[in-house]
Amino acid sequence: MLERVSGALALVGGRTITALQGMGQAWALLMASAASLRNADVWLPHLLPQMARIGVASVPIALFIATFTGIVMSLQASYTLTGTIPVYFVGTLVGKTMILELGPVLTALTLAGRVGANISAELGTMRVTEQVDALETLAYDPLAYLVVPRVLAAILMFPIVVLLAIALGIGSGWITALQLLDMSSPEFVKGLRLFFLPWDVWFAVIKSVSFGAVVTGVGCYFGLRTERGAEGVGRSATRTVVVASMLILCLDAFWAATLL
Amino acid sequence: MERRREALVGLVVLLGIAVGVVGTIWLQGGLRRDMVELRAATANVGQLVAGAAVRFRGVSVGRVDAVAVTPGGEAVMVHMSVRPELVLPADAAVLLAPESVFGDWQAEILSLTELDLPYFVDYPEDGVLPGAALPDFSRLTATADEIARNLTVISERFQIAFTEQTALQLRSAIENIGEVSDGLSEIIAQQAARFEDLSEGVNASAAELGAAARVARTSFERIDSIIGSAGAGEMLGDAGAVLSNLRSLTDELNSSLGDMRAAAQQADTTFARFDVLLAAAETGDGSVGKLLGDPTLAEGAIEAVQELRALLADIQENPRRYLSFSIF
Repeated sequence: MLERVSGALALVGGRTITALQGMGQAWALLMASAASLRNADVWLPHLLPQMARIGVASVPIALFIATFTGIVMSLQASYTLTGTIPVYFVGTLVGKTMILELGPVLTALTLAGRVGANISAELGTMRVTEQVDALETLAYDPLAYLVVPRVLAAILMFPIVVLLAIALGIGSGWITALQLLDMSSPEFVKGLRLFFLPWDVWFAVIKSVSFGAVVTGVGCYFGLRTERGAEGVGRSATRTVVVASMLILCLDAFWAATLL
Repeated sequence: MERRREALVGLVVLLGIAVGVVGTIWLQGGLRRDMVELRAATANVGQLVAGAAVRFRGVSVGRVDAVAVTPGGEAVMVHMSVRPELVLPADAAVLLAPESVFGDWQAEILSLTELDLPYFVDYPEDGVLPGAALPDFSRLTATADEIARNLTVISERFQIAFTEQTALQLRSAIENIGEVSDGLSEIIAQQAARFEDLSEGVNASAAELGAAARVARTSFERIDSIIGSAGAGEMLGDAGAVLSNLRSLTDELNSSLGDMRAAAQQADTTFARFDVLLAAAETGDGSVGKLLGDPTLAEGAIEAVQELRALLADIQENPRRYLSFSIF
């Protein structure tokens, strides 16, 4: 009996220590990466390629998701807003939801799978194949070479991708309202402008910046901590997607509570 | 390859920035470079927020830029941007009102003479329009709720007061009212018939009065003709003598009547006394009563009368036995 209790306590304690160690290592990685910003000659040449990989290459999937999100939002809004609620509130609902929530969050979740897993797998492979060690041996700063350009590229490109996704989501919702819901453009635009505030766009940008940092930071963290060969790489990629998605949703709630 | 990648990244970045900036400006209602600032002071602003539409005669002419309480806290200043070509009325004011029932408000520029509301705030500063805000839907809802509660109380009281017994009594009262109205109808019908009879009688009386008047007129004409004739004075003198004789006859009759009244009084007194005597006789009091009531006395009286008659006869026959005259 005593052994079982002590075993359970050891399990909880071990998990707690592991989690705290992980948080501490993440914090240490963050601080080290911030310190690596000084080595601009190392990370700057890699910034643009990473922007292309993380940002430009992610635009199609982000727009695809935003398009169908806008269509579904418009249809569901018209399905919900019946009776006494005027139909132009479809525009309000589509616009507000796309700008404040679905545009940034769905894009970030999508990119957590695409970008985060990609980074984790790439760095994990480099770790298990000792390429990271080779960089250190060659006196390269691996963080400035691998982490900083990816995180900076995500911070810069995530808002761009999110803005495009928001625009296309609203546009697809608009077209859906015109073609399927028997609404007119003035009605949709009236609803779209009804409760619009410029701050909404800034809110979306701030969120997407934080989401970009989280997705790439988590990918780099788990990638650099990969062990045990290909299996470890797969595990790191999975963990990256899961943790990044959780952090995205937590941040989403945090920003909503603090900024709105 | 590298240059193409750079161009692609630059294109995406610029496109994203352009979408964000242009979209924001468009959703705000477009560029407003040449807008004119307008201010209005109100007691409160309801749910008006920055970005709300400014309308003039129903047309959107601008947007609300900011809403802020004045430094003294006595009013709320609404800052607006409107089109420069807009010509405001001389007595322009700003009315804040809900644009729909879903919480979106607007600022409407209007003339005070068009809508003479008593609660426009007249802020003592040049260039500030007087403003007012209509009650919020929440206040209207609260008022409606209060009315509904009052109606509920009234209905409950009515329900308490209006029992089955009340309904029966009310029904009985209605029936009574029906009966009363029927009775009143009958009375009115009777009265109408009587009035008709009366009116017919009045008509007949009026006809008779007319005939009598005509007869009287004829008589008076005759009297006038008689009075106007030659023997009228003699007739009047004879009439005066006749009247004088009648007056003296009347006086004599009066005196005779006075004597007769006295005689009647005496007769009354006599009859009263006779009543007393008869009463006494009936009760057996007094001589007459005893005489009437007691046969012995009557018989005694008869015997006494017979003896008295015999005595008188004896006296007549033998006066000296009973009477003696002597002088000295």
